[in-house]
Amino acid sequence: MTDTPQDHADLDHVLVLAPYRRDADYLRQLLSEHGIEVRICSTGDSIAPYLSASPGVLVATHEALTPDVVSAVADWLETQPSWSEMPIVVLLDRRSHQAKIKSALGASWPRARQIFYQRPVTPVELVSGVQAAFLARLRQRDVRDHIDREIELRRELNHRVKNILASVVSIFEMTQRRADTLETFSEDFRGRLTALSNVHSAVFQAEGEAVSIQDIVDLTFEPYRLSGDDRVLTEGPLVMLDREGGTTLALCLHELATNAIKYGGLSTPHGQISFTWGVSDDDLWARWRESGGAPVVAPSRTGYGTRYLRSALSSLFGRPPVLTFDPKGLIVEVEGPLSRVTRNPVG
Amino acid sequence: MSHVCDFMRSDVPPPATPLRFLCLEDNPLIVMHLEQMIEDCGHVFVASLESFADLREQFDAMAVDCVLVDIDLADGRTGPEAASWLADRKVAALFVTGQERLAQEFRHLVVGIVAKPLSLRALKAGLDQITLRGVAK
Repeated sequence: MTDTPQDHADLDHVLVLAPYRRDADYLRQLLSEHGIEVRICSTGDSIAPYLSASPGVLVATHEALTPDVVSAVADWLETQPSWSEMPIVVLLDRRSHQAKIKSALGASWPRARQIFYQRPVTPVELVSGVQAAFLARLRQRDVRDHIDREIELRRELNHRVKNILASVVSIFEMTQRRADTLETFSEDFRGRLTALSNVHSAVFQAEGEAVSIQDIVDLTFEPYRLSGDDRVLTEGPLVMLDREGGTTLALCLHELATNAIKYGGLSTPHGQISFTWGVSDDDLWARWRESGGAPVVAPSRTGYGTRYLRSALSSLFGRPPVLTFDPKGLIVEVEGPLSRVTRNPVG
Repeated sequence: MSHVCDFMRSDVPPPATPLRFLCLEDNPLIVMHLEQMIEDCGHVFVASLESFADLREQFDAMAVDCVLVDIDLADGRTGPEAASWLADRKVAALFVTGQERLAQEFRHLVVGIVAKPLSLRALKAGLDQITLRGVAK
């Protein structure tokens, strides 16, 4: 469907076609008194620009309906979007052949709702007719806006689905590249997809598509935290992240947690990990620290986790993280402007 | 422009020296994958930025030969603006995006378009276009 001016117009005024000057003035005065904006297309004016301005209702007197005008209106009605049915109020002469005119206009203007009055018409009757036509028109406008919103939502949904599929393909490729066996591949790939899925659910359930760091932390450690276990310490103030930020942090914590279980602070019965964060000045800082695990050696090749942490934390905080492979335990530290991490200006 | 080397003119054989790449991409998973594939192709991944605003602020301090540009960035649908900004500086760019139709509209600003989801083969073909055709337009 091509974009027409009506796709965005307010449809908020009446266009009057009444060549006998006093008729137009009278109609303007009457309708204006009832708060209705009136534009008048005078004799000799081209009607096209008036129609392009997207009137909500058209009011035409009998004398205005020359073959040229009827055909110009018909052409314009052709261009109407599907939601639109133009109300046209026609004021007929008592002595005219009304049935013939009605059937001729009905045939010429198929996509219009025609309302006929016989002159003389009382002001009350005319005003209420125009007002009813306006109400119908506003309902059409609501339908239009609803359709617009639905199209917008469909685009956004498509966009997000494509993004998530692109992410999954990248997770797949990068996981596969480092897996020695099908078992390790399956375990790692499933873990990463599950982390992605869990954070998606959490963000979707959260109000306003924002989620707190604490929520992301709980989500990540829930599966690993035994009741009464104090081996996992997490602490920090309330900081909200948007959907992308929350997803990135969740995937980082997933990598850190699974690494700690396999090789680090949670690989021995008495090892510990802590994840703390805080705000100082306008910066948000975060620190991951492991202790009491198996002795740490710096990896000989850059693994998925290390590569992802560097890429993800640099993107989230705007500065690269510092990874310290301390023999006593891995330390990851990062800080960056709070306004950037939360994508909200400070203050 | 100092960022653009002589070998990037047309009809000069591809370089023995690797090119230095910047990624303009706001999804860290994609960045990680791009970084890996750029290295697989024998080039150098310099850094990634997530918005056109960051690019304008930080580009001049980076010695970069080419930029991989997504259409949707952290500051909105600014990929085409970023590509235009880079074209003004005679820096070769590729669109790497899931928004291929939109990318086609701005095809004249870039050396090529690589579709998402990413594959090594498609990215390599894109990088080869840069080494072969360079910024000569």
